[in-house]
Amino acid sequence: MRKANLARIIQLLFLAVFLVLFVRTEYRGSDTISAAINSFFRADPLVVVSYLLSAHSLTWLLFPAVITLVFSTLLGRFFCGWICPLGTLLDLVTVRIKKSAPLRILKGNVKYWLLFPMLVAAFFHVNLAGVLDPIAILVRGLTFFLYPIFGHTVRSGWVDLYGLVGERRDYIAPAYAVLRDNILPFRDTFYPLAFLSGFMFLGIIYLERYESRNWCRNLCPLGTLLGLFGRFSIFRRSPSSLCDDCKACRAVCPCAFEGELLEPDNCLLCMKCQQGCRQHRVSFDLALPVPGHGPYLPERRVLLGGLLSGFLLAGSFRFRKPEAQARLLRPPGTGSEDEFLKKCVRCGECMKVCLTGALYPAVAQGGVEAVFTPVVTPRLGYCEYNCNLCGQVCPTAAIPSLPIEEKRRAVIGKAVLDKNHCLPYAKKTNCIVCEEHCPFPEKAIKSEEVEEIDRHGNKIKILRPYVVDELCNGCGICENVCPLEGKSGIEVFAVKDKSPLKAVAMAPADDQPSDPGAGDGSDPYGGTSAGKVGDPYGGGSGKESDVNRRAGAGDGSDPYGGAGAGKESDPYRGGAGEGGDPYGGAGTGVGQEVKSPARKKDAGRGASGDAPAGAGNRRKGNDGGKEVWEGENPYR
Amino acid sequence: MHRRSFLKILGLSAIFNRLFWNEALAANQPVVAVAEGRDAAQITRNAIAALGGMKRFVKHGDVVVIKPNIGWDRTSAQAANTNPAVVKTIAEEALKAGAKKVKVFDRSCNDERRCYVNSGMTAALGGMKNVELKFIEDERFKKIALRGKVLSEWELYDEALHADVFINVPVAKHHSLTKVTLGLKNVMGVMGGNRGAIHRNIDEALADVNSVLKSHLVVVDATRVLTAHGPQGGNLRDVKALNKVLASTDIVAADAYATTLFGHRPEDISVTVAAHRRGLGEMNLNKVRIVRA
Repeated sequence: MRKANLARIIQLLFLAVFLVLFVRTEYRGSDTISAAINSFFRADPLVVVSYLLSAHSLTWLLFPAVITLVFSTLLGRFFCGWICPLGTLLDLVTVRIKKSAPLRILKGNVKYWLLFPMLVAAFFHVNLAGVLDPIAILVRGLTFFLYPIFGHTVRSGWVDLYGLVGERRDYIAPAYAVLRDNILPFRDTFYPLAFLSGFMFLGIIYLERYESRNWCRNLCPLGTLLGLFGRFSIFRRSPSSLCDDCKACRAVCPCAFEGELLEPDNCLLCMKCQQGCRQHRVSFDLALPVPGHGPYLPERRVLLGGLLSGFLLAGSFRFRKPEAQARLLRPPGTGSEDEFLKKCVRCGECMKVCLTGALYPAVAQGGVEAVFTPVVTPRLGYCEYNCNLCGQVCPTAAIPSLPIEEKRRAVIGKAVLDKNHCLPYAKKTNCIVCEEHCPFPEKAIKSEEVEEIDRHGNKIKILRPYVVDELCNGCGICENVCPLEGKSGIEVFAVKDKSPLKAVAMAPADDQPSDPGAGDGSDPYGGTSAGKVGDPYGGGSGKESDVNRRAGAGDGSDPYGGAGAGKESDPYRGGAGEGGDPYGGAGTGVGQEVKSPARKKDAGRGASGDAPAGAGNRRKGNDGGKEVWEGENPYR
Repeated sequence: MHRRSFLKILGLSAIFNRLFWNEALAANQPVVAVAEGRDAAQITRNAIAALGGMKRFVKHGDVVVIKPNIGWDRTSAQAANTNPAVVKTIAEEALKAGAKKVKVFDRSCNDERRCYVNSGMTAALGGMKNVELKFIEDERFKKIALRGKVLSEWELYDEALHADVFINVPVAKHHSLTKVTLGLKNVMGVMGGNRGAIHRNIDEALADVNSVLKSHLVVVDATRVLTAHGPQGGNLRDVKALNKVLASTDIVAADAYATTLFGHRPEDISVTVAAHRRGLGEMNLNKVRIVRA
């Protein structure tokens, strides 16, 4: 058994922290995740360098990575030998793997051929650094591959146990609850690209059969980058070569002794050589770098080749299939597709943390440049109204960390009804599950009561849903819960204009409880209802068609004024146009209809008092609005 | 038998067996207890007491299931979920009456972890001895032959079916499809499968389920009600404080009375009408004894 040195202890410590953070990167009963696995990416120099190149800017989130970079310049690749959890895992398993000869194909400049094109491509806006970032590979391997399998296995065992012993399983339920609440993934989620993620991770381990730290010394772009920065570090081993009479270091050193000379860009500062030196000759000291350790950069053709191939690579990965783009729904708060791709590390954290399992890695739908990036897949999960965890854990703010009020307004896409599938349209039956689940207090999916003739010739009344774009953030719960099998009757499509929903449109006076004394005239809901049912498009920006302008003018007191103000280029105006102008008249109708058989009855009963009477009126008011609406509904 | 001794036995059994007495009463006329006051726990106790107390329902060693509405990721004040104070009080009463265990669960619509926490249920029930606040586990759904009008079979939750006492604790609120959602609809929370699909014919479907899964006691939380944009709400302007809790053994009567709190008549609510027609209870409030508590 080898003695543990300080580096090993620190390594294990960081690995433990990594694993704890990994498990904690999940909703565990609190709205905020204070420490997540993103800490590792924020301290990852490859992330900050590629971000800087592709986004042409910097975010304070990556400040720790800048510090790592500064220290690496001074000290060398300590990150690889002391911190990197993938390196630690390799160190742990490599002792059990018998080595054959090193792979010749990996020697030479392969690692530069990986790093340079990648960074140059990042400069030309195709940032694929995350695909080969060692920590990202590890997190993806765990998130997409090992963790779901682990969770599913334990859960299946738990389910099987129920089949065996039934209710008696309850005796150990508390123990399982501890496991479920603290260690297991909450949901059984399986990911596309799980195989590829596992393959990359296990492939790196497989490489250990050729030589130790094979990935780290021959391939890892992060290690290569740190090697470049740390080439002239002032902290180095002496002697800088093997001693003629011993050469034991070569066997001990995991990474840096290919020949007689220590390769400074591969020295991980693990200090095993110092510990293993019987002559006590090895020491690590602060010293000025000595020139003459070979060229700083590899041959010029690698540099130029890297530059050119990066440029070409960037160009060759840019095809985007339009129909796939329509369903390429990005997490809430992200900017344009280009901006998002520049910043996304593809670490998989958002997908791991997503409450409902709505986020999945893109396979090919976003093109090669978008592989492993998160895509909202509403049929499998939706964006939870009160959750902003993905933004909290994103290391680069590709998904910004928005306060919950802002996240609710952030547009993922817009829901679109498919009348050929939607039950009330296609089958003339009631349903309205989408409206029921729509999380907005004002409901982005509303319903109108319409009369239909059923197959027996009878008149029936059914509620038909419709979508109000101004209130829809594309969270996808409607698509998720649509009771149709397979294809949903309502689907969320991506939109170019992702400007946030207007705050006023969402929930006027959200935090003010209703005034119980409010009479008919002053019933705040009456007004709201008028605006809501009658005039969601009211206060159109004035750049709209006449139809909308009239609608807006119809109700001077419209509390939603401006809600409908779209941009000139707003592609959704079509929705308003389609409906013609049923919106104008409805507003006036509501006011009259606050008559109430309900109120009389309530008063008669004497039990419910004022408040419920008001409640009744509200409801009536709402109905009244609908009746007028129906009268002018151009659909019938 | 002599008439005198018959009367003696009748009288004695009535005194010693309050259950018998109460059921004899209940058989004659359904009772809805209506308690009003600002203290949710107190009015819950009052309403149950007015029906004869929890001991009427819960025997020593019983397993009691309380089925509140914890369907939405909303706070208690937003009135989309049952008031946790009401649920807690019922759990306490059940334990006091001798329940061995009280189980509380709902198949939520939003993420169950968030729903349980945000509704205040976790805080209210956490740490109570012999009270389990549990997530729904899919393997516990059992396909049950309902032989109903529209549902021939459906997956129902076995813990609800096996409970000695099933206490249905809905929150009274507006619903876009059924106008109001109350006790009859609250049992959707123990339905498995694609339950959204029953919205096509929700009146009869709910009657189907309620004829198999009987609520021994219905406690309607109307401490504050959601008057619009239900069943989820979210805007406090849609919430009215009514400070009421209703209790009944007749689910239709409880729903019918609660309906009036919204200014509707029971006949306006097709879910209630269907359940009444199917013999699940009384919706004519003239035939229901309203007890103020």
